[in-house]
Amino acid sequence: MIRVEGLSRSYDDGARGKVRVLDGVTLEVPAGQFLAVTGRSGSGKSTLLHVLGGLDSEFSGKVEVAGTALQGLSDAALSRFRNEAVGIVFQSFHLVPGLSSVENVALPSAFAALEAPSSRAKEALERVGLGDKLTRAPEQLSGGERQRVAIARALFHQPKVLLCDEPTGNLDAQTADEVIALFKRLNGEGLTIVAVTHEDRLRNAASRVVSLADGRLS
Amino acid sequence: MKSAALRKLVRLHLSRDRRGAFSSSFGIAIGIASLVFFVALGLGVARVVREKIFPVDASLVEVIPSQLALGLFGGQLDQQAVDRLSALPGVKKAYRKMSVKVPAVSYYDGDFFGRRVRMGVEIVAVGVDPEFVKADVKLGEFVDAGEGQPIPVVGASRLIEIYNKTFAPARSLPQLSATMLVGFSFPIDWNRSFIAATAGGPFTSTRGQVVGVSDRGMLAGITIPLETAKRLNKSNNADAEHFSGVALQADSPSDVPGIVVAVKEMGLRVDDQERRMAENAGAAVAITTSAMALLSALICLLAAFNIAHALSAAVRTREKELGIMRAVGAKRGDIFALVLGEALVLGLAGGVAGTALALAAAAGIDMLAARMVPDFPFKPETFFLVPMWLPALGVGLGLLAAIGGAWLPARRASRIDPARVLAGQGT
Ligand SMILES: Nc1ncnc2c1ncn2[C@@H]1O[C@H](COP(=O)(O)OP(=O)(O)O)[C@@H](O)[C@H]1O
Ligand SMILES: [Mg+2]
Repeated sequence: MIRVEGLSRSYDDGARGKVRVLDGVTLEVPAGQFLAVTGRSGSGKSTLLHVLGGLDSEFSGKVEVAGTALQGLSDAALSRFRNEAVGIVFQSFHLVPGLSSVENVALPSAFAALEAPSSRAKEALERVGLGDKLTRAPEQLSGGERQRVAIARALFHQPKVLLCDEPTGNLDAQTADEVIALFKRLNGEGLTIVAVTHEDRLRNAASRVVSLADGRLS
Repeated sequence: MKSAALRKLVRLHLSRDRRGAFSSSFGIAIGIASLVFFVALGLGVARVVREKIFPVDASLVEVIPSQLALGLFGGQLDQQAVDRLSALPGVKKAYRKMSVKVPAVSYYDGDFFGRRVRMGVEIVAVGVDPEFVKADVKLGEFVDAGEGQPIPVVGASRLIEIYNKTFAPARSLPQLSATMLVGFSFPIDWNRSFIAATAGGPFTSTRGQVVGVSDRGMLAGITIPLETAKRLNKSNNADAEHFSGVALQADSPSDVPGIVVAVKEMGLRVDDQERRMAENAGAAVAITTSAMALLSALICLLAAFNIAHALSAAVRTREKELGIMRAVGAKRGDIFALVLGEALVLGLAGGVAGTALALAAAAGIDMLAARMVPDFPFKPETFFLVPMWLPALGVGLGLLAAIGGAWLPARRASRIDPARVLAGQGT
């Protein structure tokens, strides 16, 4: 489902010059796997996730996600890939204020031609257990509920791959467990999940754990 | 990006910061209002100058004799010269004019439109080819009726205006209109003058009857048929062979410069006093209007800067939101369109409001002027002229100012790096 070969990414960091955050990463994730990527803060976990999610195209190496080779793609092609092929969940939920849950979940439909976006959005919300909070504004939801709305948004186009960057980082222990349980259920339904984390709780739920250090996976 | 979605997101963003949106639109509205107002005023005043104060017919050339008689037929306006003028390329028609060289007065004693009047005025008369004023003749025929018969007279529209606004009020005389005047008859005594010694010819008395009022009528006097002028000159042993002027009707205004050159080559002069005054007045109006329009354009420019500033701030505070749109599939162009779309709404609102404000102000001023400002000559019903294109220009410029202001913020928004703004903590 995911195939990464010789992936490198460096940042221009003014005083320190070029900093190589990823240095020849190689990774293969079969379909249906729930992979946890761990590592110290600043080890490049988010950077890796952004490359996999098509948010960062300034890398070298080969990256193939859900059948799409990402190297050298145009902005339009990458945008389409983000829109349809993957879902991304962040530590902060990044819901749009002023839009209801359904409207937030349907946000990807603004950038795609597609029938009945709100009934799809309702299905996605039901899938994450929020069928009763369709018209709530983000401000009227708890942290755990907001993250589940964000997950529903990531699932809007029914992607094969869900990418998560510290998805439980802003949640208390109990709600974190609920979200992790949701991930396990979604994984059980066949969704491939890559979650970047430094939390044991999430790591323990994964079916495979790799760790990132000095720009490489081990 | 789907346009329905674009509209929805634009509306969402605008509704979240109503005050900011209002102030951005307001700036544009002020600039556009002032622009539309001053352009309409300039056009309106120019129209009054053109149509009422100096109603110059752009295809008419007034030829007058040279001050010096040059050689054989140089400088003289006799029938031969008129024939040559008529034959010039671009000349459609030549209308001869001959001033009556006999002094005359009108001594009026009787009922003057409901008021008893005793008044003596010096009369200056010019004869013209009847076709020259034919269109404005409303009573009988504008031809010489013969010795002792009433003389058909055409008055000057501008003279009525000046009479009504300045002469009559000061003397509590009644207001006149062209239709009232037609049919009015008054005595004319030839070979009489309050001012100058007469030529000593026989004193005769006839009547004049107003048969029409025309822009082509002589401003300081009466216009009569050419044959009448000839007859009066002849019977008083004055020159009845030479014309005092010829009005040349050109095929089109573009023929006028060529005609002017040919006329001068014939040793004749062109009386372009009126045309020059009209041009000078027109230029003065145009310069003032341009200055005010420029000032208004500057206000629009300021409004554009204001929008640029406001949108830059909005883009900064909405960084994460724009980033998440990128993350769920927005292209750079979608983000650009989103920010520009907001500006378009602001510009459209500002442009429409500004144009409406200007038109309302114009209507208000016209109403006040009608009620409060005393009459003066050539006072128009409206000081404004609003051609179809002016509101379109107002709204268009409002949009343009908004787009201009939004361009850089929109570009910056489209280049937001979602990876940078989305990772980490914070709402
Ligand atoms: N946009 C950027 N510009 C410069 N340096 C960056 C940028 N993003 C991340 N980095 C640097 O790259 C390294 C890895 O960052 P990140 O991938 O966020 O690590 P993690 O998610 O594991 O904490 C850090 O040293 C960070 O400072
Ligand atoms: Mg990180």
